[in-house]
Amino acid sequence: MNESAATSAPGEDGWLADLYRRRWVRVTTLVLAIPTLLALVFGVYLWQRFGTDRPTEYADIDEHFKYGSTGGEHVSGFPYWIFQALPQVCGEHLPGKGYASLGLIYEEGHDLPIGMSKRHHQGIDKTFLNCAVCHASTVRDAPNAKPRVYLGMPAKQLDIMGFEKFLFNCAKGPKFAAEFIVPEARRAAQAGGQDLDLLDRYIVYPVAVALMRERLLTLAGRFSFVFDHPDWGPGRVDTFNSAKVIFNFPMHDLPAREKNAPADFPSIWLQGPRKGMQLHWDGNNTMVEERNKSAAFGTGTTPPTLDVANIGRIETWLLTKEPPKYPYAVDAAKAARGGPLYKEYCSGCHGATGRDFSGEYVGKVSPIAEIGTDRRRLDSYTYELAVNQATLYVGYPWRFAHFRKTFGYANMPLDGLWLRAPYLHNGSVPTVRDLLEPASKRPPVFHRGYDVYDPAKVGFLSEVAAEGDKHYFRFDTSVPGNANTGHEGKRYGTELPAADKDALVEFLKTF
Amino acid sequence: MDTSQATSWRWGTILGWLVVLLLIGAIVGFYGWFKFFREVPQEPWVTETPEMRFRYGSIGAESDAGIPYWIFYVLPRMFPEKLPGPGGYASLGVSWEQGKELPIGFTKKTVGFPRVANNCAACHTTNYRAGPNENPVFLDAGPGHTLNLEAFFRFLVDCAKDPRFNADNLMREIDLVTDLPFDDRLAYRFLIIPMTKKRLVEREAQFAWIYRKDFPEWGRGRDDSMNLTKYFMIKLPMDNSFGPGDIPSIWNLKKYDQPGTTMNWSGDSHDAHSVIIDSALGLLGAPPKDNAVFLGHVAWLQEYLRNAPPPKYPFPIDAARAEAGKAVFDKHCASCHASDKTGRRMPLDAIGTDRERMDTWGKDNAIAANKVVSAMGIQRKGLVEAPLDGYNPPFLDGVWVRGPYLHNGSVPTLRDLLEPPANRPQVFWRGYDLYDQANVGFISQGPEAERLGSRYDTSQRANGNGGHAFGVALPAGDKDALLEYLKTL
Repeated sequence: MNESAATSAPGEDGWLADLYRRRWVRVTTLVLAIPTLLALVFGVYLWQRFGTDRPTEYADIDEHFKYGSTGGEHVSGFPYWIFQALPQVCGEHLPGKGYASLGLIYEEGHDLPIGMSKRHHQGIDKTFLNCAVCHASTVRDAPNAKPRVYLGMPAKQLDIMGFEKFLFNCAKGPKFAAEFIVPEARRAAQAGGQDLDLLDRYIVYPVAVALMRERLLTLAGRFSFVFDHPDWGPGRVDTFNSAKVIFNFPMHDLPAREKNAPADFPSIWLQGPRKGMQLHWDGNNTMVEERNKSAAFGTGTTPPTLDVANIGRIETWLLTKEPPKYPYAVDAAKAARGGPLYKEYCSGCHGATGRDFSGEYVGKVSPIAEIGTDRRRLDSYTYELAVNQATLYVGYPWRFAHFRKTFGYANMPLDGLWLRAPYLHNGSVPTVRDLLEPASKRPPVFHRGYDVYDPAKVGFLSEVAAEGDKHYFRFDTSVPGNANTGHEGKRYGTELPAADKDALVEFLKTF
Repeated sequence: MDTSQATSWRWGTILGWLVVLLLIGAIVGFYGWFKFFREVPQEPWVTETPEMRFRYGSIGAESDAGIPYWIFYVLPRMFPEKLPGPGGYASLGVSWEQGKELPIGFTKKTVGFPRVANNCAACHTTNYRAGPNENPVFLDAGPGHTLNLEAFFRFLVDCAKDPRFNADNLMREIDLVTDLPFDDRLAYRFLIIPMTKKRLVEREAQFAWIYRKDFPEWGRGRDDSMNLTKYFMIKLPMDNSFGPGDIPSIWNLKKYDQPGTTMNWSGDSHDAHSVIIDSALGLLGAPPKDNAVFLGHVAWLQEYLRNAPPPKYPFPIDAARAEAGKAVFDKHCASCHASDKTGRRMPLDAIGTDRERMDTWGKDNAIAANKVVSAMGIQRKGLVEAPLDGYNPPFLDGVWVRGPYLHNGSVPTLRDLLEPPANRPQVFWRGYDLYDQANVGFISQGPEAERLGSRYDTSQRANGNGGHAFGVALPAGDKDALLEYLKTL
C-alpha cells in the first residue's frame, strides 16, 4: 500500500498504468511479448503454408473430367513430386518406360496423365485418380495414325492391376525411402521449372515419403489378394472384391467362387435415360447417384473428403453426354437390312435404338441360367457385401440404400457400342462380329489393349501381340473369370446366316 | 472510505461473481447434459409401422448397454479377424435387410450421442431363403436360428481387450467415415472411447463361462439363457452348469393366455408379461431409467406379440396328404402338442431329452431373480419358484420354420426327429438359411452349410439328441403324411 502510494496516488491513471511503471513488469512484458509475437507470425506462416486445400480447377467440362479432382487426394493423394519421381526410383516394377507403359494416357502440355488430378493440400501438391482414368481412352485409325482421345469410353488400355502392383512393390522395396525419393522428386520439380525449398527437402517430403509408404503398405496388405489372382489385363477391374476392401473383409477367407471376378470398365455416357435401371453388370444398384459415389471410392474418396461439387459437375454432364459417332463409313443399305434383325433379336433386351432405350427387359437382370455368361463377376457380389454397403455415407443425406444382391446380369443399352469392345461383362469377346458366333467359334485367345480400330468386325484389332517395345495383354478365355461362353443360341442371333450377322453388325455401327 | 459502503461493495462483488459462476455452471451442466444424456426420439420411420418398431424400435437399452455408434461402426473394419468370417456383422448371422443401415434388432438412438443397442428382434427374427438364387426373407418374431450370439458377445469383449482398441486407432478409422465436430472428437477421444473400452472389458468376468474351453460352442441360433440370467441379473458366482437352448419363436403369444401354461423350455416363467420383462431387462443391462416408459415398451411388445400370427408355409402343400397326416397327428402327437398338456411341464422321464438345459436353473435362482426385479419396483408374476424337472411340450404354431428341433436344437429337421435317436444325424451344421422342403427344416449338410453354419456335434455336452422317441416307428407313408400336415400349422 505504502509503496504504491509513494509513486503515485492509486486510481489516478488506473491500476494498469500503475503496474506498467514498474521496471520488472516492462522487462517481463518485453521478454514474453517477443516470443509470443514470433510464435504468432510462425503460426500464421504454417497455417497459410499447410492449412491449404485448393484443387486445380478447370472451367471447361472436358478438362474437368480429365484432370479435375473428386476429392480423393485428401486421404489417398500421392505427393505430386513423389509420384513423378517413382518411375525413376522403381522403374524395374514397370512394364516399360514411365506410367504410359501401364496404359495411362498423356496429352501434350500435361505432366499428369488423363484421369489424374492435382490438389494443393496440407502444404503440398497431391495427385490421385479421378473418373477419367477408367472411363477415357484412345482410338487410332491405323498403326501410324495419331490417337484420338474419347471421353466416357472404357479405358481399355489401362492396366489398373499393374498400377496397384507397381505402387505396392515400390513401397515394399528398399528404395522407398527419403534418401532415394527426395533427390529424384527435387530433380523432377526442377525439370518442371520449380524447386523444393529447405523445409520441403528436410521435413515435408521425408515425412510425406514415410506416410505414403505406411499407407501403401497398409493398402498392399488389404489388396494382397490381387497378387494371387491371374492378371486382369488392361481395361478390367475386380470391382466388388475391391469394394470388400473398404470394409476390410478378410479377403483370403472368401470362398473360392467369389474370387477372380474382373469385369470390363463400362462406358458412362447418357446416364439420364439410365435412371431407374439396374446398374452395374449384375444390376446391383438402381440409383445413378449412389452408383457414382460408389465408383468414387475407387478415386480415393472417403465420405468426409468427397468433393461433392466437383463430382456433381461430372454427374450432371454425364446425364446427357452423347457417345461419339462412329467415324468410319457405314453401308447404309446393309445397315437397313440389319435394322429388322436387330428389332427381332436384340431390341427387347438392349433397347429400340442406340438412343431409345425402351424395351421390355432393358436395364433389368436376366437370370444367369438364361444368359450363361461367366458367373464369377456375379458371384463376387454377395448379400454380405450388399448389406455392408448400406452403412456407407451414414450421416449424409445420400447414405447408400439401393445395393441389392442379384442372381443374373443386367441387359444394357448399346449406345456408343462401337467403342465398348471387347464385349460381354468380362471383355472376353474381342468384337461384335465375334459375339454373333457361338462360343465355340469365338477366339479362345486374343490380345487386349491395342487401340487400332477394326471397322470390319467392330472392335479393336486383337491379333497384335506387340508394337515397338509395347506388348499387349494375351487374354486366355480358359483362365478363371475369362470364359467367353453364354449370350449364344438362336435367341442371341448366333445361328443367323453370315450375311445377316454382317448386316446386324453394320446396323450396330449407327448406335 | 465508508466501512458500510466498502462492505456492501464487497458483498456486491461476491454476489456478482456467484451469479457468474452459477451461470457458467449452468452452461457447463447444460452442455454436459446435452452432449451425454439428452434423449432424442428415433427417426419417424422407425415407429411408423408396428413391423418397423418391432425390428428397429428402441426399448431403452441404449442408455446403459448402448455402444457409441461410431465405435460400433468401425469395429468390424478394425478387427475382422475376431468375427466368424468375412462380412462384418453379417458374418454373425444377423437378419439384415438390404439397404438398411443396421441389422434387424439393432436400434440406433441418440442419448447425448448416437448409440446402438438391441431389441427383441435381434434374436427373434428368422431368415430363410427359398432357393440358392434367392435373397433371404425375414419372419418377425421367429427364432433367430442363424444368429451367433456367443460370437457377438465375444467379439465386443475381444475387441475391447485388444491393445489396438485405443483412441488413436479408433479415431483414425472414424475420421475415414464421418466428419465429427471438434467437441465430439474430444468427447470420443477422451471420454467415450476409454469408457467404452473399460465397460466392455469389465464384462469379460461375467462372460467367463462362454470362454471355457471344456464347453462346446453355443453355435448359431442358441443361447445359454438361464446362465445369462444368473450371471448378469442375479450376479451369482460361476457354477459348472451349461445348457444352451434354441432361441424360440415368440409369435402368437396369446396361446399362453390358457390358464396353467408356463413359458420357456422348462416352464421357468409364469407368463408372457414376465418373460418379456425379464428378457428386456437383460437387453437393458441395468434397471430401467423410468419404469413407466419401460413398462410402456413391454405392454406394446406384449400386445404386438400376442397377435403376431405364425407365418404360413410359403411352398406348395399336398392337401390330400396333409389331410391324411392330420389323422396321424391326432393319434400320435396331439395328446402332448395340442391338448391341456401343451405348454405345461412334463417330467423328464417321460421325454428323455438332454437334461443340461433344465439343470442350469433352480428354485433358489427364481426366488433371487424375482427379488431383483421387485426391487426395481416392477410387478410381475415372475419366474416359477419351484424345482423344475422336465420340459414343456411346445405349441407347434409355425413349426415348419422353427428348426433345428428339440429344446437344444439337436435335430436338424422334422423328418430326422421322426427317426429313432440312434438314426438322427450325429454331426450337422446349423445356421444356414436355405430351406429344406423335403425334410422340413433347414439344409444342414454340404459345403455351404459348413461354410455358413456352426458345427453341431451331438456327442458334446448339452447337445444330446436323445429322447422324444415318439412316432419313430410309424410307417414311412405315415411319416410323410405327418410332415405334410405339420407344414400347415
